[in-house]
Amino acid sequence: MQAQTAKGDVLIKNGTVLTITDGTQENTDVLIQKGKITKVGKGLRTPNGVTEVDATGKFVMPGILDAHSHIAGSAINEGTSQVTAEVSMEDVVNPLDVGIYRALAGGVTTIHLMHGSANVIGGQNETMKLRYGSTNPDDLRFEGAPRTIKFALGENPTRGGRSRGIQPQSRMGVEAMLRNSFSDAKVYRTKWNAYNANKSTRKVAPEYDLRMETLVDILEGEVLVHCHSYRADEIYMLMKVFSDFGIPKLTFQHANEAYKVAPELAAFGASASVFADWWAYKLEVYYSTAYNAAILTKNGVTTSINSDSGELVRHLFHEAAKTQKYGDLTDNEALALITLNPAKQLGIDNRVGSIETGKDGDIAIFDAHPLSTYAIPQMTFIDGVKYFDRANDKNDQRLYINPEETIQEVMIFDRESQHRCMEDAQTLSFSDLFSNKK
Amino acid sequence: MKIERKTIFRLMLILPFLFGTLAINAQSDHTGKSAATRTYAITNASIVQSPGAVMEGGTIVVKNGLISAVGKNVSIPDDAQVLDGTGMYVYAGFIDGMSNVGTKRPKAMERPSNLFTPDPPNDYAGITPERHVVDQIDVASSTIGDLRKAGFTIAHTVPYGRMLPGSGALIFLADKDHPDDIILAENVAMFSQFVGAPGAYPGNILGIMAKWRNIYRNADNSMQHTMMYAENPSGLTRPNRDRTLEAFFPVVAGQKPVYFNTQNMLDVRRAMRLQNDLGFKIAVGNIKQGWELADELKQKGAQVYLSMDLPDAPKPSKSEDKSEEVIALEARRMDFYKKYVSQAATYQAAGVQFGFSTMGTRGNKVKTHMMTMIENGLNADDALAALTTSPAALLGIDKVAGTAEVGKLGNLVVTTGPYFEKKSQVRYVFVDGDKYDYEIKDDKKKGAEVTDEPAADTSNEPLLGSWTYNFTTPQGDQGGKMIIKKEGDLYSGVMTSDDGSPDTDMEDISFRDGTLSFSFSVDGGGQTIEILVTGTVTGKSYDAQASVEAFNVSFELSATKDDGR
Repeated sequence: MQAQTAKGDVLIKNGTVLTITDGTQENTDVLIQKGKITKVGKGLRTPNGVTEVDATGKFVMPGILDAHSHIAGSAINEGTSQVTAEVSMEDVVNPLDVGIYRALAGGVTTIHLMHGSANVIGGQNETMKLRYGSTNPDDLRFEGAPRTIKFALGENPTRGGRSRGIQPQSRMGVEAMLRNSFSDAKVYRTKWNAYNANKSTRKVAPEYDLRMETLVDILEGEVLVHCHSYRADEIYMLMKVFSDFGIPKLTFQHANEAYKVAPELAAFGASASVFADWWAYKLEVYYSTAYNAAILTKNGVTTSINSDSGELVRHLFHEAAKTQKYGDLTDNEALALITLNPAKQLGIDNRVGSIETGKDGDIAIFDAHPLSTYAIPQMTFIDGVKYFDRANDKNDQRLYINPEETIQEVMIFDRESQHRCMEDAQTLSFSDLFSNKK
Repeated sequence: MKIERKTIFRLMLILPFLFGTLAINAQSDHTGKSAATRTYAITNASIVQSPGAVMEGGTIVVKNGLISAVGKNVSIPDDAQVLDGTGMYVYAGFIDGMSNVGTKRPKAMERPSNLFTPDPPNDYAGITPERHVVDQIDVASSTIGDLRKAGFTIAHTVPYGRMLPGSGALIFLADKDHPDDIILAENVAMFSQFVGAPGAYPGNILGIMAKWRNIYRNADNSMQHTMMYAENPSGLTRPNRDRTLEAFFPVVAGQKPVYFNTQNMLDVRRAMRLQNDLGFKIAVGNIKQGWELADELKQKGAQVYLSMDLPDAPKPSKSEDKSEEVIALEARRMDFYKKYVSQAATYQAAGVQFGFSTMGTRGNKVKTHMMTMIENGLNADDALAALTTSPAALLGIDKVAGTAEVGKLGNLVVTTGPYFEKKSQVRYVFVDGDKYDYEIKDDKKKGAEVTDEPAADTSNEPLLGSWTYNFTTPQGDQGGKMIIKKEGDLYSGVMTSDDGSPDTDMEDISFRDGTLSFSFSVDGGGQTIEILVTGTVTGKSYDAQASVEAFNVSFELSATKDDGR
């Protein structure tokens, strides 16, 4: 089932190239061969068989990365238990989700499909390239990307705990569960190490536990943790827990109060993936500021801006631009929030996030500077293959169609279904079932 | 002396059984159901011994449950009932590769008090691979006769349940008194589906995939431990008994396949993903949306059972001022309809050997759907192979079933013309050597089973028609109509709602000895919640308990029959 995805050859000519790592280069060409950027420079010769794209007057930037997404998943939460490290979003990738195409139309090439935030230790996430058109989930994998996992602090996991009468019912319970889980994992690791070191031919394997296996991999730094969090105190708590267990890497997701502990985050080496200006949707998110990303950036914290939404993902460039209004970030700093920085947080900055020789040919072309309100994405390339072209954009982009569907003249956009963080995790009550307010 | 005494003692033990058996056989059958003979000869028929091999003007003899002779000049046994097969076609009985035929959904389990643990009780979680469908078999199930009427004689029936409900069995679609009488083979395959436990782990596909891997790895370890212990237990810790893991041993050892219920394309891919990671023998069944996967499944050597259930043909809007957008949307919808109905032809062209699964289909739809597949590119011989020789080979019963040849089981379908012609009707079905008669109706009416059983007096069916139902929920009273119909032996029904909610189908309707049970589903904010209803019909009133397994709640539901039909 190992997929061999398409790799393209293309020369993007004469654009304003926003490299992220090497400044802005005007009237510059970007050559992509077999899916990789092979040259960036002026007046490049077009090799045989390579398609040319004229980018005169246009802006060429690295494909946008969204470090927090819930599109393209057949399920989001295994919220039936508080520690489900064994489950993985890679098993539930839904390549048929038309939301993938919408994201491409916003210049996005890579997303981090995350497990939901219903439980303390949720499932493993999947880093994906938006190779829309294939119906094989394997074709959308970001091959070679490090494994990552979702943790969640605060109101979401405690809400579930309280409604079910189980731990955690408070932030204290969350910390206790984390420490217990890692301690259990150490015991598990000791057992298996002893088994593996045993030279006897008549040895008996200890119980295999995929949940513990994953926790051990976290302890050993093989799985990067991305933690849903809001409050400064809980952010600080998790850094302490990770210090105690010697886990070096950590990204806080949402992290609306991260600005309060920015120096501490920088000292730990933790990073943050935040919203531009989305807050006050529940109590723990009231103490927020649109200056969050700028404050973190100025304090040396690797920061990204994410969508967590099938709608926001279409204009992450607008979200990044807000940091210029709130915090005066430079163009390059603002663009890094949606390119190089999320790539670092996902451990794929050697592959994507900037326009450099040797990196993947993941490119977005805009008709104006992407931080301008007037910018409209024109083309999106992944591995040198064009997946979106505004000039050739058919109306019906669905891959599979239900032959028994009814066709209505008016399509209604369902805003509620865009938020999937707590899907399947709400404790539905019997009275909800017959309520008119569905 | 000693020896003699022993012998007598043995005889005394055996005799009661011997006489007992004789006595039963000798008893006259007051129901009049028993056939006078189990030897039959169908003469002068077109005998399709296997797909493409037709013998014109042949005679086929079924005796003692087996096909005893096929040919143009066979001598007809004296005790045979001779059936004139002039103009008729004889085929090997059809085989259903995966369905719930003849099984009864077990009662909803009581919800355990502490479900919010990483490891809820296995039976609630739906992890019961040690169970067997035989425990769910209901010989009186109307599904047996319903599918037989379409020509099916053997079904691989799988248990109801969730993620790992248990093992399936091959059953004869025969009318018998005891499950043992209809079982051809037990423990055929392990059955699995992507169905989560309501409100407990594994709750959805995420947990199911992880749990599957976890069980498999532990079964592998446990099997090695068990084998090592069996060889020499000295100094070795004793293996813990774990029925779930033990049920997996033959799967891990590659002796027993796992049959997955994989309706849609992503289900198939997910089942194949597990197979790829773990390496067991796999069958993917009930495939509705797998037209892209033929080559991959062939390459992986997966057994394939396509769904017999097809979507309804789309009806384009008759409006004259359709927008271009609507015209384009209708065209794409039609394209996809074609993909569904030509799926079988696609698999045939790819050279994949496949059978069918009748899950979700009724007997009276079988022929219609087969004809639709043929109209969309499936060759009639290949269609017959998918109903006979292919499933027989895939299920490992090709030595006893799948063709109309001497020595095979007496499983036959006899039709008034070639089966794959619109007008032909099923006249006889032979199952395990027993004959079932179907009356031939003029054009429109299809044959109702006549046999020797008294025909159901439909005019006096207490259930049919419209009922007004009512039940009380925390939100107040809910009411509407239940409209119940019957086609052949099967009930169908629809529940309407007074509050304007969409109509809901009544599923799994069963009515026996005055007890009516069915289930229906309601939408609980994205989760489908099933409600099971069971109660008694007394004259025109119905008093029932409705239970919602997901919340461990039950409530009263009552209904009154409306006057007139």
